Amino acid sequence: MTSIREEMWKSRAILFNFAISDLKIRYRNSILGVLWSVIEPLLMLGVLYFVFSTMFKFDIPNFPIYLLLGIIIYNCFKNGTTFALNSLTNRASLITQIYFPRSIPAISSAITASIMLAIEVGILLVFMIGFQFVPPITILLLPLILGLQFMLVVGVCLPLSVLNVKFKDTEFIWGVVLSAGFFLTPIFYQFDMLPEYLQNILQFSPMVQILTMAHHVVLYGMLPTVNSILYAVGSISVITVIGYLIFRKFQAQMVEEM
Amino acid sequence: MSEYAIRVKNVSKKFKIHHEKRDSIFESVSGVFQKKTHSEILQALDDISFDVKKGEIFGIVGPNGSGKSTLLRIISKIYQPDSGSVEVNGTIIPILALGLGFHPEFTAITNIYQSSILLGFKKEVIDNRVKEIIEFAELEKFADTKVKNFSNGMLMRLAFATSVLVDPDILIVDEVLAVGDTNFQKKCIDTIQSFKKRGKAIIFVSHALGMIEEYADRAMFLNKGKIEKIGLPLDVIAAYDDFSTKRYE
Repeated sequence: MTSIREEMWKSRAILFNFAISDLKIRYRNSILGVLWSVIEPLLMLGVLYFVFSTMFKFDIPNFPIYLLLGIIIYNCFKNGTTFALNSLTNRASLITQIYFPRSIPAISSAITASIMLAIEVGILLVFMIGFQFVPPITILLLPLILGLQFMLVVGVCLPLSVLNVKFKDTEFIWGVVLSAGFFLTPIFYQFDMLPEYLQNILQFSPMVQILTMAHHVVLYGMLPTVNSILYAVGSISVITVIGYLIFRKFQAQMVEEM
Repeated sequence: MSEYAIRVKNVSKKFKIHHEKRDSIFESVSGVFQKKTHSEILQALDDISFDVKKGEIFGIVGPNGSGKSTLLRIISKIYQPDSGSVEVNGTIIPILALGLGFHPEFTAITNIYQSSILLGFKKEVIDNRVKEIIEFAELEKFADTKVKNFSNGMLMRLAFATSVLVDPDILIVDEVLAVGDTNFQKKCIDTIQSFKKRGKAIIFVSHALGMIEEYADRAMFLNKGKIEKIGLPLDVIAAYDDFSTKRYE
C-alpha cells in the first residue's frame, strides 16, 4: 500500500495531466462543455424530485437539498468507477509504448470524478442559498467524509481498470452493480424507512454509511455516529485491500492482453 | 557510475497464444470443462544476455517474430520478463511505433508534453525545448493540429524530435526510421551519431542491413528468441545473410 502512495506522489504531475485531459476529452465536441457536469445532476434532481414529491410523497425535510446531496455523492462514485473501467483500454497505445505506473489511469479517474464533485458541491451551496437553508457548523466535516469516499473510489477503480482489460464482462456487471447501488443507497429515501432486515445487511455498504454521515453533518447538524465511522472505515479498508491485491495480480500481464 | 548503459541477464519470456481468445468470464469458466487446449506457449525470448556500453550504437537484426520487439519492450519496462533481469543506467526513451503513444485527439504540442512527462522529464525542461522540437520535426505549421490528422511520416518526425530533444541517456529505435524521407533519415542518423559522441547509448532495430553495417558498433542477430550471433556488425550480418539464403533455398 505504501508503494502505491509513493508512486502517486512521485507521479503527481502525470496524475493531474491525465485527470485534466480526461475532462477535456470527455467534453470535446459538446457545445455546453464542462457545464454538462452541472446540468446532468440538476436534470437528475428534477426527475427524482418530481417522482418522489408528487407521485410518492416522501416526507423528508429540505428534500431538494437532501436529494441533491445524495445525487452528487453517488455520482462521484459512479463517475470515478465508470471512467476507470476503460481508463487503461482507452490508453492502449500509450501503455504499450511507454512505461509508467499502471495505477495512474485508475487513480486519475478518481481524481477526475472528484474535480466534478467539487463543481457540484458549488451548486449544492447555491441551492442552499436559494432555499435559504443555513447549514450547521458540522458541514465543515464534509470534506473528511468525501476524503474517505475518495479512498473507496480509488480502491474500486484499481481492480476495475485491470479486470476490464482481461474480462470485458466487468463493464456490464459493474453497470448492474451501479444501478442496484443507486436504489440500495439512501439517496431519495431515509435509511430508517427500510425494513430492519435490509438495514442489517445494507449497513455494511460503504456508500450507505458515507451518505448517512453526509446527511448527518450537512442537514441535521449531528456528528457521524461511531457506528457509521466504524462500518465505513472497516468496509472501505477491506475493499481497498482486496482491490489492491486484485490490481497487483493482474497489472503486469495486463499489457500483454492489449 | 557504471560503464554500461544496459545489462540484460538471462532474460526469458513466454507468451500464451490463444487460438480462440477467451474474453469473457463465461468463456473462461466453460473453457475449464473443455478438454481441447485453446492456447500454446510461445517462447518469445530464451535466455538472452548482452550489454550495451555508454557511447555505443547497438544494432539488432532478425526475421519477423524473432523476439526483437519483445526484447525492446522488456528493456523499456513495458513487459516484465518471466526470469532474468534488466539493469538500465539512466533515462531511456523507446520509439517502438509511430509516435510515442500519442493521443490522436491531442495537438502536437500537448502530445510532446504528455509523452515526455510520462517518460519522467520535468515540465520546465520541456518548456524550453518545445520550439526546438517542432522545428526539428519540421512541423511549424502543424504545432496546433490534432495528431489524428498527421501522416505516418509526420508522426515519426514528431516522435523522433521529441525523443532526442528531451535528451535521454539511452535511445531505443524500433524500425521506424524507414518511414521518413531520405532527408529526414539523414538528420536522424546525424543526431544518433552526435548522441553517441556525447556518451549516450542507442539500440536500433532495422531490416536495413546496410545501415547497421555502417553505423552500429556492435550488433546482434536474434532468431526464434535466441541469440544466433553477437559481435561486429559485419560478422553478424554475414550470419544473418547466410540464414536468410538458406531459408529461401
